[in-house]
Amino acid sequence: MPVGCRYCSNRTLFIVAALVVALATPAAVPAADTPRQGGILLAVIGADPPSLDPHQESTFATMQLVAPLYSTLLQTDPYAYPKIIGDVASEWKISPDGLTYTFKIRPGIRFHDGAPLTATDVKATYDKIVTPPEAARSVRKNAYVAVTSVEAPDASTVVFKLKFPSASLLENLASPWNVIYPKKYLDKDPNYFKNNVMGSGPFKFKNYTRGATFEGERNPDYFVKDRPYLNGYKFFISPETSVRAAAIRSGRAYIEFRDLPNAEVDAIKKQLRDKVAVQQTPMTGQFGIAINNTVKPFTDPRVRKALTLGFDRYTGGKVLFTLTGLRDVGALLRPGTEWALPDAELVKLPGFGRDMERNRTEARKLLAEAGYPNGFKVVLKNRNVKLPYQDLAVFAIQEWRKIGVEADHRPLETAAWFADGRDTGSFELIIAPTVEASDDPDVFLRRYTTGDPENWGRFSSPAIDDLFARQSRALDHAERRKLVQQLQKVVLENVYYMPGLWWTRNVVHWTKVKNYVAPPNHYSNQKLQDVWLSED
Amino acid sequence: MATNLEVAHATASAELAPRLSVAAAVAKFARTKPLGAIGAVIILIMLVLAAFAEVLAPFDPYHGDYGLQFARPSAEHWFGTDEFGRDVLSRIMYGARIALFVGFTASLTGCTLGALLGVISAYWGGKVDLLLERLMDILLAFPQLILALAIASILGPAVQNVVIAISIPVIPRVARVIRSAAMSVKENVYVEAVQALGASRPRVILQHIIPNVAAPYIIMVTAQLGAAILAEAALSYLGLGAAEPTPSWGLMLSGSAPSYAEKAPWIALFPGIAISLGVFGFNLFGDSLRDALDPKLRGR
Amino acid sequence: MRIYVAKRLLLIIPTLLGAAALVFVIMRVIPGDVALLIFGGDAGGNIDPKQLAAMRHRLGLDQPLWMQFGTWLWGVVRFDFGTSLWTGRPVIEELLIRLPLSLELAIAATVVSVIIAIPFGMLAAIRQDTWVDYLVRIVSIGGLAIPSFWVGILCILMLVIFFGWGPPLEFTPPWVDPWANFQMMIWPIVTVGYRYSAVTTRMTRSTMLEVLREDYIRTAWAKGLRERAVVVRHALKNSMLPVITLVGTEFAFLIGGLVVTETVFTLNGVGRFVVDAVAHRDYPVVQALIFLIAFGFVVVNLLVDLTYAWFDPRIRYR
Repeated sequence: MPVGCRYCSNRTLFIVAALVVALATPAAVPAADTPRQGGILLAVIGADPPSLDPHQESTFATMQLVAPLYSTLLQTDPYAYPKIIGDVASEWKISPDGLTYTFKIRPGIRFHDGAPLTATDVKATYDKIVTPPEAARSVRKNAYVAVTSVEAPDASTVVFKLKFPSASLLENLASPWNVIYPKKYLDKDPNYFKNNVMGSGPFKFKNYTRGATFEGERNPDYFVKDRPYLNGYKFFISPETSVRAAAIRSGRAYIEFRDLPNAEVDAIKKQLRDKVAVQQTPMTGQFGIAINNTVKPFTDPRVRKALTLGFDRYTGGKVLFTLTGLRDVGALLRPGTEWALPDAELVKLPGFGRDMERNRTEARKLLAEAGYPNGFKVVLKNRNVKLPYQDLAVFAIQEWRKIGVEADHRPLETAAWFADGRDTGSFELIIAPTVEASDDPDVFLRRYTTGDPENWGRFSSPAIDDLFARQSRALDHAERRKLVQQLQKVVLENVYYMPGLWWTRNVVHWTKVKNYVAPPNHYSNQKLQDVWLSED
Repeated sequence: MATNLEVAHATASAELAPRLSVAAAVAKFARTKPLGAIGAVIILIMLVLAAFAEVLAPFDPYHGDYGLQFARPSAEHWFGTDEFGRDVLSRIMYGARIALFVGFTASLTGCTLGALLGVISAYWGGKVDLLLERLMDILLAFPQLILALAIASILGPAVQNVVIAISIPVIPRVARVIRSAAMSVKENVYVEAVQALGASRPRVILQHIIPNVAAPYIIMVTAQLGAAILAEAALSYLGLGAAEPTPSWGLMLSGSAPSYAEKAPWIALFPGIAISLGVFGFNLFGDSLRDALDPKLRGR
Repeated sequence: MRIYVAKRLLLIIPTLLGAAALVFVIMRVIPGDVALLIFGGDAGGNIDPKQLAAMRHRLGLDQPLWMQFGTWLWGVVRFDFGTSLWTGRPVIEELLIRLPLSLELAIAATVVSVIIAIPFGMLAAIRQDTWVDYLVRIVSIGGLAIPSFWVGILCILMLVIFFGWGPPLEFTPPWVDPWANFQMMIWPIVTVGYRYSAVTTRMTRSTMLEVLREDYIRTAWAKGLRERAVVVRHALKNSMLPVITLVGTEFAFLIGGLVVTETVFTLNGVGRFVVDAVAHRDYPVVQALIFLIAFGFVVVNLLVDLTYAWFDPRIRYR
């Protein structure tokens, strides 16, 4: 997938800051057989959603289930990530100073209760995201610090006003999480959508039984003509990986949208041969280890450095790839994208050198200098989720044993993980992934700034804060890249956080599932409006 | 009922029997209860594996040989290696240690506490009995797994917490059995006589009642041993048991092991066999012991 | 008899109250705050304490514990178990979705276990200490020794590997589509049934052994009746009482112990529902379910004891 260059061309237009008009149709619909109407898409998913409100959640379990029920202002092109196209917005303009974004809302869109979707609903939605009312939470409000106000001068126009130019606003407005809610319901209860659904997407909500199934049925009044092709979709919920894989093998389900481990994929391919297809995509996600910078011995940068030096990433990529798809060695932004640190610079950073014996010797030396010549004991808290959380932990523990650090692995169930682990800071080390819906540096790097809610390591560096603020406003592309790379180096040189490995995933589906292109994350392109089944 | 005393002494685990030499008792047990003898042999093997794991295990159970992920069983790795290249045989040997630890501590703790409560309940009677009985009813009616879940949440997933989670539900079951056994002893003429002679309560309990409930106690302990090992496996499967990379049998056959069922069946097969065989051994032994100790079934 | 029944019925109350109080305390002691969870979702982070307090208030969690417990009890008396903190639906409604599956599994598994246990238990008793006895005991003890989740996983894997077939993923009640129901439920039923048959087989065997030694059986033997007639007419009838008790008690335990089976076979039953509710600190759901499971347990036990008392009058005076 030509990730980098599409991104550039889009960006160049933007930087010229001329009038940008985009058509709302996907760029390149892959030529295929004539789509067939009908059929129910059967899918399996590994978890129940914590709630149905994507504004308040950040898990695939929420996204994949409800995405087909909603529309967003913009979206990433289903066939060409990360190109941005419209969804309910048909076109948009950006003022030359980059401070005013004007969107035209497509006429004739209706919510599933028959009410029209207008600019007021878009405004109400973004008000809830950018300035959430007291009773509701907005997970992504920090992504919109540049936004002063959202206005709806008439029924078909939405205007975003900015305090300062933002390099990532369009990406953020195309986020699949920002689904558009009808104002009427939000006014009644900002938390209404945690347990209810009212959208304008290609499918209508049918039924959800916790722990069992989630169903949607075709929306005949969908605003895109002749879509969706499917009569409906149905997710079966099973936390057991082997059960989900078996469901695909036996044809009880046609697709798993998140990821199946390579061992299962091989077995499925061996049995079903050309009846199944596997789309292996890199992920906009990385699994690493957050170090609590406020507790001993990790207040000492030498100790933090020793941890990352003692972790053999290159071997890890080989070992863990077969188990859980963790493969690529990289810094804080996805390798292969324009934002990534080039290899030549990467290998100079602690823990990224390829000579592992030298790394370990240095790690032991640093530990001795810090007063731990015989290593130390530490608790590594984790989620009790097998893939990839626990496998990464097992590998890390084995690696650290080699430099004398004995880590006690403590997997916690979700509630305890929040209350007695990650969120309250009551940990020494945790497995802390960074998985997002786009490669944008704003989205990925904010967590390294002082006081950010996702700064699990609780560190504070004026240099990082400054670099982050500057890159966020840098409309010049080359300059932004320079700042972004500099920021990554500051984090890695001080080992405030310890990146592990970048994730790849396997989307396995029967070949009768047509027109689904797996994007490099498990949040985007879940609307299913173009997906069709060649047979039942 | 006076035979109870005799029973406990004559046939209880043969080693205790004063009238037979140990060797002779073992020989008799093996002859009359061949299944029990097989069970005993299995238990013995487990004990040896657990005790001498450091010497017997060919590899470090925590060491992953990255060049050898998913290696088939071979002369070097008899049971093959797992997904991290760890030797499955060595992990099973060390796992025996955890299984036995969980089995013995959980069943001994649970049974001893249960027996104690049962004896107290039976001997004191009256309000104490009523109160304890209700308490036991509550524990019985409370689903075991919820208790285990709560304990794992409060104390974290670790082997010693698993022991607590497993032993608590054992208490009421044992308490009931021991209570009724103690009741019948208490009503015995000779206990009444001893009491009439002015023996103190603790002395009566210690000298007369405890020896008499020994047989059902031993039966309960052996019965719970296997059950405890299985419970540990089930808790591990649900993510409430020991944590990776601890070589626990239950852990070894849950997690991603099913995903490797085709690629490397030995990863889940051997630990599964180990658990089944271990529990099987304890159950066989316990079953035969019960046959031997139960006065009604003796001397057919 | 009437006094005995009344006494037993009265004793139910403290047991249920105790179980309810226990689950209440446990749920409040375990770390993890439902308000934090509801806010935290999967993203966590620094949540405004004011928001948290407001949420706790909304959920009624800021009241003193005894008041919360009182409110809850008063609800139970009126048969109102509250609403789930997560789905916002009445607990009873959520339960009714899942109860048929668990009940079917428990009842059918019990039936299967009895069907396996009684003939084999009898056989083992009649042929005590022969190879038949040993075989039956080995197989039944094996049922107790093999981890049921492992059997379950192997069973599903075998089906899919060798036949490319897997059971349906969604529960259909037997009265809607018996065939679909059968395809899904047969595997867990047999797995659980086999496991529970082990206990019952052993019990049948030992009670049979006892009865076979009774004088009247020897008399029957002596009269020269055919072996089968002796066994079936006399011994079996008289040895069934303890077996019935055991089956009843096992059934009562089974209701609360289906979690593992339901997880392995991805069945949306009561067991998994409780575990899910505990994980999400959904207090009303956990409290209601534990209360109802305890209630079921107590009632089944009561029925068993009453049956026993009915058959064996000596019990009443104990």
